[in-house]
Amino acid sequence: MVAKKPLFWAFVYAALIFMVLFNLIPFFWMTSSSLKTDYEVIDYPPTILPKKVTFGAYTRMWTQEQFFQYFLNSLTVSSTTAFFSSFIGVFAAYGFSRFYFRGRTTLMTIFLSSQLIPGVLLVGPYFKMLSYVELYNTLSGLILSQTTITLPFSIWMLKGYVDTVPETIDQAAMVDGASRLRICLTIILPNILPGLVATIIFAFLLSWGDLLWALCLISDQAKQTMTLGITQLVGQFRVQWSEIMAATVIVTIVPATLYLLLQRYLIQGFTEGAVKR
Amino acid sequence: MRIREKYTGFLFIFPAFLLLVSILGFPAFAAVMQSFNLIWVKIPSFSLTSYHRLIGDVEFLGTLKNTVIFVGLTVSFHLLIGLGVALLLNLEIRNKRFFRVIAILPWTVPDVIGGLIWRFMFDTLPGMINAILLEFAIIVDPIDWLGNPKLAFGCLIFAETWRGYPFAMLILLAGLQAIPQVQYEAAQIDGASKFQSFFYITLPNLKYMIIIAFVLDTIWESRLFGMIYSMTGGGPGYSSQVLSLLTYKHYFLFFNTSYAGAIAVVLAVFMLIISLPYLVMTMRRE
Repeated sequence: MVAKKPLFWAFVYAALIFMVLFNLIPFFWMTSSSLKTDYEVIDYPPTILPKKVTFGAYTRMWTQEQFFQYFLNSLTVSSTTAFFSSFIGVFAAYGFSRFYFRGRTTLMTIFLSSQLIPGVLLVGPYFKMLSYVELYNTLSGLILSQTTITLPFSIWMLKGYVDTVPETIDQAAMVDGASRLRICLTIILPNILPGLVATIIFAFLLSWGDLLWALCLISDQAKQTMTLGITQLVGQFRVQWSEIMAATVIVTIVPATLYLLLQRYLIQGFTEGAVKR
Repeated sequence: MRIREKYTGFLFIFPAFLLLVSILGFPAFAAVMQSFNLIWVKIPSFSLTSYHRLIGDVEFLGTLKNTVIFVGLTVSFHLLIGLGVALLLNLEIRNKRFFRVIAILPWTVPDVIGGLIWRFMFDTLPGMINAILLEFAIIVDPIDWLGNPKLAFGCLIFAETWRGYPFAMLILLAGLQAIPQVQYEAAQIDGASKFQSFFYITLPNLKYMIIIAFVLDTIWESRLFGMIYSMTGGGPGYSSQVLSLLTYKHYFLFFNTSYAGAIAVVLAVFMLIISLPYLVMTMRRE
């Protein structure tokens, strides 16, 4: 048993190093390619590191293409979606957590199972609906549509957080004459603040990474989001890999940073909503 | 007081309810109606034409098969690799935080972007995969990974395995950390081997976490669109196409709206069948 130990740990660290390589190689390749010149990036055989580091791809992307506009659009759509669905979600989560009315479980299950409806089923009729109310090809229409993805998740995560606040706090406040709405806003909200922030950020990221809705509901180039803008760039006749990789670096930095900062809260939110009552 | 309370609860839920009915419920209902030729046509009449057409459509059948394989394989790989890495990270290792952060990274990449990165990785001449394989003399000539119908689908599954497994890993790691250490100590005293502890303590304790990871991942992989769109576009031919992409093509490129509705309904039914056990379980637990 003792003799086996060093071998065991050697295996563990070898596996971990393999995992690190497997996970990081694409990131490495993306970053390295984004720093190459247009010619070097399509060289054969490819160079592992750029011969001469250049930020040319980054500057071209921001100046020649409309990427600054795409970036702003993505930022607007994702943050509005995130705040909107978390705002509506907080009340629903409070309602589900504190009131034991008939059909509560059924309603909750319906809310959750709405995730089972694939986006492609909705996007067609959505296109018709938005055209009808003249919201097709607008950022507002896109925000409304992305709420379909984020709202059920927000409610689920937030309910998990509200459940962790003891109900005796509510009861004490009610004895003091506070209304339910006031309890929700002034007592529950401060108590679940970290969870709320995690929920907002998760909704932001869901919306940030979306392609389907933007692809189907936006036709104007000036209204495209980052993800849509990049995929359109690939569709063009000459694939500018250095620029595309520079753009992917920028689109990835935002969620990667946020996830790493908030991983603990996100996992708590995912699991508590499902495991606890 | 009691009656008033009952309605207060619903008032809190009402905005979300209204929103979900109008932006989710209605379009879903409309899509189903459309697949039966009941709305948004000149002469609405109930018809099963779209569904009949599905049975004889070779592209649809191939795509359905691809979807089942894609979801089956990616979810299995995610759970297996996720469990493996979670077990490693649950050990008393040095630099735990570092390994943990690296382990999560792929999941933070939006799927569309993951598709683009891997498309470039698998590129025939300037791609990195061929460069590595040639360097170690595993292959003699560069392989056209994404241009070969036999290989493209496998590459896609590989790329999605990379991107998706950290989520399963995180959920399972949270589950592993919640297992009381006492159970292992008790088993050790009773003379249980490491394997026995794993099968009789670890796995049963992880049951709920495994189910959560399985169901959420299945839903996400079935709906996956961006990565396939950006990496292979479903090609060559329809060798790497899945149902979400086929629906999109029929609706927005070929304007077969009713037919697209029928395909999407099949996808929704597929997802429902897989996650039904979970829904039943949630209901029972409440």
